[in-house]
Amino acid sequence: MRLSIVNVSKTFPSVKALDDVSMEFAPGEVHALMGENGAGKSTLLKIVTGLYRPDAGLLKLDGELVEFFSPRDALAAGIGAVHQERNLVPRFSVGENILLEHPPGRRGFIDYGAIYDRARVLLELLDPGIDVRAEVATLSVAQMQIVEIAKALSLNARVLLLDEPTASITDHEAEALFKVIARLKAEGVAIVFVSHKLDEVLTISDRVTVLRDGRVMASGEAIAEMSRRRLVSLMIGREERIADVAGGAKQGKVALELREIATSYGHSGINLRLHEAEILGLYGLVGAGRSELARSIIGDGRITGGAICVGDRPARIRNPNEALRRHRIGYVSEDRKGEGLVLSHSIVSNIAVTIWRRIATRLWLIPPVVERNAVTPQVQRLAIKSFSLDQTVDTLSGGNQQKVSLAKWLAAKTDILLIDEPTVGIDIKTKVELHELIAQIARDGAAVLLISSDMAEMITLADRILVMHNFAVVGEFVNDRIYENGSEAIMSAIHAAEKDRKHLHDRAAIA
Amino acid sequence: MSTTDLAPTPRARFEIAPQLGLAIIVGLLVVVFAWKQPGFVSSFNLFGMGRSLAVDVTVGFSQMAVLATGGMNLAVGSIGVCSVMFAGYLMQDLGLPVPLAFLLAVMLGGLLGWLNGFTIVRSGVNAFIVTLASANLYSGAMLILTKAQPINVLPPIVSSIGSYEILGYASPALVVALVIGLALYVFYRYSVPGKETLMAGANARAASMSGIAVSRSIILAHVLSGVLAGVAGLMVVARVGAAMPAVGGEDWLLPSFLAPVLGGTALAGGFVSVVGTFLGAMLVTVIRSGLLFVNISNFWLQLFLGLFLLAAVLAQRYRGLFRMRLT
Repeated sequence: MRLSIVNVSKTFPSVKALDDVSMEFAPGEVHALMGENGAGKSTLLKIVTGLYRPDAGLLKLDGELVEFFSPRDALAAGIGAVHQERNLVPRFSVGENILLEHPPGRRGFIDYGAIYDRARVLLELLDPGIDVRAEVATLSVAQMQIVEIAKALSLNARVLLLDEPTASITDHEAEALFKVIARLKAEGVAIVFVSHKLDEVLTISDRVTVLRDGRVMASGEAIAEMSRRRLVSLMIGREERIADVAGGAKQGKVALELREIATSYGHSGINLRLHEAEILGLYGLVGAGRSELARSIIGDGRITGGAICVGDRPARIRNPNEALRRHRIGYVSEDRKGEGLVLSHSIVSNIAVTIWRRIATRLWLIPPVVERNAVTPQVQRLAIKSFSLDQTVDTLSGGNQQKVSLAKWLAAKTDILLIDEPTVGIDIKTKVELHELIAQIARDGAAVLLISSDMAEMITLADRILVMHNFAVVGEFVNDRIYENGSEAIMSAIHAAEKDRKHLHDRAAIA
Repeated sequence: MSTTDLAPTPRARFEIAPQLGLAIIVGLLVVVFAWKQPGFVSSFNLFGMGRSLAVDVTVGFSQMAVLATGGMNLAVGSIGVCSVMFAGYLMQDLGLPVPLAFLLAVMLGGLLGWLNGFTIVRSGVNAFIVTLASANLYSGAMLILTKAQPINVLPPIVSSIGSYEILGYASPALVVALVIGLALYVFYRYSVPGKETLMAGANARAASMSGIAVSRSIILAHVLSGVLAGVAGLMVVARVGAAMPAVGGEDWLLPSFLAPVLGGTALAGGFVSVVGTFLGAMLVTVIRSGLLFVNISNFWLQLFLGLFLLAAVLAQRYRGLFRMRLT
């Protein structure tokens, strides 16, 4: 099925999100939709899936005019979407979730036999390894994504929208996903693929459309004729810039030390030393236990063994409150919507929350002027785009939201900052800004522990890299900021750990 | 960077709208009732309305304090009546001076609220179940201890406070309610614990990760709620000049939700409106008194109040959806 978008515009009170946008998604093709945060991709997807109505312009399916008043209309017309947020019922089985919209029934009762049969047929095509009777909550993120694709297919989707499908899955899982995409493409499904990962887009898509500030910069150009450089300059309006983060800052004293740490999450024997003015990278695949380690450090998970020293004194950190106020440690969560921000509150509150107690008068009152003055420098430093500081955070673009979630820790001026996946789902321009900022934070003397699954990011930023695998540290090396060397060192550490584990496993099997 | 505060955000507009609408409705009702029955705006009736408004407002604030955290307090009425009977006991049986008895009774309210909050935080069970249980527990214990007997022999000063008329038509209770309202406004808007409570209510996880002690905020909200329930109970003691075991209880349940929810306080937590709660309580009081004046049976009152609560909740839901579509 061919989906055409013709001269679509959409305006919001503060911004023109889409300005006379046209493009076409053809069957049997993978069409990449690219653009920075706030370029209008999300708005376009919401219009195509019936969540928004365009102010002007129209949608056509195979040349026929269509109008969607609700997401149901779009689904019925054969447009399926897998959004960034998971939309499954965790406690239901895989089969129930796939056929949730139209469960097969018999005399008014749900026919479970038919559910599982039909679900199995659909999954056969995608990933036969998923048990249709398993509870969705037990699946990995990648498997959930496959289930959502199956769900879309169960509704006979002929146009499939994938919004950042690889943002939170491992490279290995992404490979599997690309195979699924190739198969769907062969079946004649039109696939729209939104991603910030350039290499991925260049490998798997046939065509690309680039949006910038709500306008089309390139419409459905063949990927074969598109270079990485041109793609980037179309997206950001100029040449790509690599963050300027010359290392070599003088490392200071040890700021945080972990000795033989074990946690309730399952870490054991973790040793780590973080110095002032240093960026220590913690690399690992999704699920290696990096975020869990950071959480345990700030007291959000239990430490069951070993010792933590902050500065040169042993510390027992029972909760994030103590981490912030007593030990001056901050944690920038990877889950910015769930943990990093209070979306329904203002920018001011979200940033000032960490310093309310510090700026309050003796009566525990916070004069609004003082609060604003404390927040403004951070907003300026991070170039957070907003028309008012009282704007609620949910009205900001993803990149600006991430800046806010970082700004509150800059305001708190913590000595130690644990930064978890700072640029997932963030556009290139903002990404470079964030990289420079993180480098600056370290240069100013803070000790930074950077968690990232983005190897390029890690190698650009980190002074030293620890490799984590299966809740243990399996390698450590000084990063010379040369990509080939770094990636080589990381991968060999992970492979060695894998081999060790297999070895142990085999031995256990024999015993 | 452009952070000039020129255009109001879409959000800000919708925050003002419900309160303004409510004020208009209250105004219209007053006009209609006064036109039908001029006695409605007599100083005698204004005084009476002010006295019961004070109770409705305070009961509404009591609920609002817990709604702020995204929870609810079904024990507002039970805590209220416990404070009432305790105050009566202290004055009649122990002969304590009135101010001391009132202070201790309010403290009992705070203590019972603390128990609620502590249980919720410690057990992780939601506020609905915990306060449903404690509501029955508290009023059951009160009935056993007092044998459901009213305490009538109170110092005469108590009822003279209740019938004292400021400028001919305002009751001291109303002044107390206004002062409480002002304090709460400052609390939620400018104070550290108030702002932290709202943030914890909007997203407990994010609040906790930002260094807010969420458990403490929740307990504090319940203590505040208990204290306010106690104050509301004492307003009734002053009004009737006796401590009656029939005060509060389930009679307060609906109004306690009506005032804040009509006023735009979010049931999901994270946002309160003090002014709105005051207006919501005004609506309840005006309707209650007005229906009496135009000779409509009290049974209708219940029906109307239920209808209003439903309408307010639906309006809130609609606003939420509308906002979602906008962003």
